[in-house]
Amino acid sequence: MTGAIVTMENVTKLYEQGKIEVRAVDNLTLTIQKGDFAALCGPSGSGKTTVLNLMGGLDLPTEGTIHIEQQNLSELSRSQISNMRRDRIGFVFQSYNLIPVMTAYENAEFVLKLQGVPEKQCHERVMNILAEVGLQGLEHRRPDELSGGQQQRVAIARAIVTRPAIVLADEPTANVDSVTADALLDLMQELNRVERTTFLFSTHDQRVMDRARRLIRLRDGRLEQDEVRA
Amino acid sequence: MPDVKIFSFALRNVLRNRHRSLVTVLAMAFAGIIMIVFAALMDGFLDATERHAVIMNTGDVQIHAPGYMNDPDLYTYVDNTYELLSLLEKNGFYASPRLYGFALAAAGKSSAGVKLRGISINRENTVTEISRHVMLGAWLESGDTRGVVIGKKLARTLGVKVGDEIVIVGQASDGSMANDLYRVKGILKTVGDEIDQAGFFMLDTAFRELMVFPKGVHEIAIMRSNRDTDLELAKQRIEEIAGDYEIKDWQDLQPVIARILDLADAQKVIMILITYVAVATVILNAVLMSVFERIHEFGVMKALGVGPWFLVRLIFTELFIMIFAASIVALACGWFIAYRLELNGIDLSSIATGASFGGVAIDPVWPAKVTPGALFLPVLFLILIGFLAAVYPAVKAAVIQPVRAIYYR
Repeated sequence: MTGAIVTMENVTKLYEQGKIEVRAVDNLTLTIQKGDFAALCGPSGSGKTTVLNLMGGLDLPTEGTIHIEQQNLSELSRSQISNMRRDRIGFVFQSYNLIPVMTAYENAEFVLKLQGVPEKQCHERVMNILAEVGLQGLEHRRPDELSGGQQQRVAIARAIVTRPAIVLADEPTANVDSVTADALLDLMQELNRVERTTFLFSTHDQRVMDRARRLIRLRDGRLEQDEVRA
Repeated sequence: MPDVKIFSFALRNVLRNRHRSLVTVLAMAFAGIIMIVFAALMDGFLDATERHAVIMNTGDVQIHAPGYMNDPDLYTYVDNTYELLSLLEKNGFYASPRLYGFALAAAGKSSAGVKLRGISINRENTVTEISRHVMLGAWLESGDTRGVVIGKKLARTLGVKVGDEIVIVGQASDGSMANDLYRVKGILKTVGDEIDQAGFFMLDTAFRELMVFPKGVHEIAIMRSNRDTDLELAKQRIEEIAGDYEIKDWQDLQPVIARILDLADAQKVIMILITYVAVATVILNAVLMSVFERIHEFGVMKALGVGPWFLVRLIFTELFIMIFAASIVALACGWFIAYRLELNGIDLSSIATGASFGGVAIDPVWPAKVTPGALFLPVLFLILIGFLAAVYPAVKAAVIQPVRAIYYR
């Protein structure tokens, strides 16, 4: 599994909605490699978000195994999975999900603090990352003082400041205008190119799919297409 | 432990919904103020009751001849009075000898059984404050062997007022008829049932002359010179001095009052708990609302790697901030009100003049007493109840699955 960041083997995820059993992911085998800039696409209900949640350790599979950097998630305790999310995975959510009482700086700093990174190093990394995502001068603004695009930039900064193995982004461009979406994608592509940060998007957005170097198409929880582009 | 400034984070969360936090803090503070004032009034009432029980008549400790308490006979008396009084005073006690006898008092067409109480006024003043409890007229004076002070209800029964004459008829110690005429010098305020209905205070010299009782006393009432010293130790010391006699402290002599005072602390705690159960529902509601409206946020934090204990600490810190603010307000306002009531009391004279409690008169002005217990016990319970109320919401936030929390609506 050299170069594999996340490996899913024969993963099935069943949900119960009332008395109905829903097969959100159906016997899926998938590997995300280091440096991937991949998009998970498919119609609504195809299982994109569920796959992202499973890969991020937010949810556990009903069947099958998931390895993150060769560690089997089902063999880890809740606390170990929590630590893995903190140290090795970055999340970007559709609706930004910044902590509203914290400034842009503090939101970006939050996970570093959880990791116990020393203050000086923390400050340096946060300032660098905020500069990298184009938020110089806005460090002390709270989320409600920032535009949607700026908030999503803070969310990206928060996701990558810890230098995670993979960034899982759930519809990151869904709530921003097209200019901002392009700017965000430019930013993430640049991070992928320069830092070799691995990105996996779940998306309906054609712009994201156009830019992805790997397109993973799901239908009814199954892999329909896995296309690597030049 | 994560290096997140959790206090600052919690403070911002508290200030995030200012109105709700303010209402919660004020509800807690209001309950705290009520409980501090209640506890201070209870302490004041109990202190006044104990004081009245002791300083109006009983004293801290009493000495009687063996058997006198069960059968208060004129001939059962303490013999070596002066020797005992001298020893008691040398050991730092105030002591007052008393003489008791029973007779029939008559004035005009009315009559009533009375308990004659012969006292040494100088010594009695060192032990009790009864001389300052005269409602009409004046207290006894040295040399005025015809002057008597009587209980309020006795005055009403006999239909006498200050200056009127009362005839006493009884049996003297030598078997002769004890018979004499006295003038009402004073009428007491409410002291307690026994004194109110049958109290007939006279000088010891007048008693000895009337009852032909030349030596001995029926009771020696004793007061500690320092009321902060331990009653049990004082009683033991007196037992060493007067071991041949029956020694009883005021708690033995007034067991009902003693029992009520013993139970008072438990009553206070129960009252505080009952009030705080209502407060707990307010706190629980506020904290639950605060947690449920942030479930999604907690889910995101968990996705970022926040552990369950961090969320528990966060919720408890938020609550601590609110309880701390409420406690400061409660202590400041509660102390101020209680202190004012300690100075002035609540004047109940229009509705409670002459009231008694367990046979002990109650002062119509109800004072508070500001004690550390009255101030801090309610605050301690506030903290305890507040934290108990937050356990469920905190656990709820801690154990929720991140994926459920993130998509919680």
